[in-house]
Amino acid sequence: MTRFEPLLVLDDIAKNYGAIEALKGITFTIGKGEVVALLGDNGAGKSTLVKIISGGLDPSRGTMLFEGRKFLARSPSEAKAAGIETVYQDLSLCTNVDVVANFFMGRELTKRIMGIPVLDEKAMEREVEQAMANAGTRIPSLRTNVEHLSGGQRQAIELNRFVHWGGKLVLLDEPFAALGVEQTRRGLEMIRAVANRGIGVVIITHIMQQAFQVADRIVVIRQGVVAGDVETTKTSPDAVVRMITGESLASTGAAG
Amino acid sequence: MTPRSRKSLEFVLDNLVWFILLAVLVLFSAGVPNYFQLGIFANIIEASSVLGVMSIGLALVIIAGHMDLSVESVAALSAMTVGVLFCSAGIGLNIQLTPEWLAVPASLAAALFVGGLIGALNGFLIVKAKMNAFIVTLASYIWVRGLVLAVSGGRSAQDLAPAIRWFGVQRLMGLPLTAWLAILCFAVFSFVLARTPFGRHLIMIGGNENATFRAGIKVNRILMLSFIIAGSVAGLAGWLLAIRTSGATANLGTGMLFNAFAAVVIGGVSLKGGVGQLPGVYAGVLLLASINTAINLMGLPATSTQVIHGLLVLVAVLLDTLKLAIRQRLK
Repeated sequence: MTRFEPLLVLDDIAKNYGAIEALKGITFTIGKGEVVALLGDNGAGKSTLVKIISGGLDPSRGTMLFEGRKFLARSPSEAKAAGIETVYQDLSLCTNVDVVANFFMGRELTKRIMGIPVLDEKAMEREVEQAMANAGTRIPSLRTNVEHLSGGQRQAIELNRFVHWGGKLVLLDEPFAALGVEQTRRGLEMIRAVANRGIGVVIITHIMQQAFQVADRIVVIRQGVVAGDVETTKTSPDAVVRMITGESLASTGAAG
Repeated sequence: MTPRSRKSLEFVLDNLVWFILLAVLVLFSAGVPNYFQLGIFANIIEASSVLGVMSIGLALVIIAGHMDLSVESVAALSAMTVGVLFCSAGIGLNIQLTPEWLAVPASLAAALFVGGLIGALNGFLIVKAKMNAFIVTLASYIWVRGLVLAVSGGRSAQDLAPAIRWFGVQRLMGLPLTAWLAILCFAVFSFVLARTPFGRHLIMIGGNENATFRAGIKVNRILMLSFIIAGSVAGLAGWLLAIRTSGATANLGTGMLFNAFAAVVIGGVSLKGGVGQLPGVYAGVLLLASINTAINLMGLPATSTQVIHGLLVLVAVLLDTLKLAIRQRLK
């Protein structure tokens, strides 16, 4: 269990695709300001779970409580409205428009000219400039189309986007896949900074070291169920690996 | 390369079709006798109105990453609707309204409504029923034209009510009001596409629909709206077409779809979606009309227009590839 004030409580969340059970009933809690690393082998159901929380998929069973109230997002826009930001594994950028447009995707600043909402490009550019500077990300021109940027720069835009918008809960599905060592370090710092603002963070990763660096708690999913839920300080990488692979010793890994 | 020269090169690339139009006009003015006259230029703009308006709707839908093959037939059905209601000869019902000018908003509303309705049906099948846009609008292209034939029984409506025809006769600064309407349409929709959240979302949907959905943009609503706009704008093109021909025939506007496609591609809109601006499309339409006019003036057989248009589309696609290559070297 979490020692933080609960933000999102998952209770027996399941997802079937026909006869196949991708999730068999997931129960755990994410606290306010807590970083939870979600670990598990390929196909364990991590991404499915993230999609259910972020409104991309409907669960077959189970309930969620968000800030103490029953919650189910029918679409990503509903999840966003509730304050849940998601950074997906495959990047969610429109490469045919510039950095500013991507940063404000779906949240464009407008000014009214004769009652018609018109994009306020100057204000948006200023805000992006500020956000990028705060995060120490350098991109040659905010007006370049994203297709001309490198993989690392693209991922940096996504990360800056969630740091900027924040909301109440952030879900990160392998956010550092395309990043170099230095950028990853900065990314982990960003996550810590976001959590310190009281925002709950769920990060999916395959890299054990990252999980131990940034997470308060580690939740392991194996074959659609929670195979371990432990505080990072009370476990070891070896124990977590055993939970992931399902060796019999694993069940004792959870001390908390 | 200095930032400044890079910027000017980008500007040229972004507006390439306007420079081509300018070059072609200069070339024709120098080479074709009687080409360099204000009257000829006015004529080019006038001849571009119907095709131009039709191309707007097509371009919007293509930029959103979809397709609308039905615009030509929709325009024909709207023109036929206006013709049947407000023509006094042929199959026209010669509906009289008092005061007479009421026929203008009434006919316009009818044309827009017919177009919007078919656009909404296309949109419903594509967005809600998840059917392929190419197939759905190909079907509409066929059945809507069939409906025109059925409604008219193959006959035509002539002598459109004078109050409506006034738009084709009355001139402002040398151009008929119909041409001004087309220009106004381009101005309005260019603004909508480039400067409003709706336009921005449309372009982003054409680039990466999944990302826009995840970002909470109401993708279905925007796509639905773009099909309705394409239909209504095609309906407006039909209204202009009825004015231009002072009535409607069953085969009115046949073949315009391919010219509209040519204009859209020449204007720099990528068929892959997500790329393109409407001023370029207008330049594309003007370019086609300029070439037609030159062919007329030179006394070449009209059949050669089609060959030239086809080649022009190929050149446009070639230029697009070239532009991409140049941009890649720029970065």
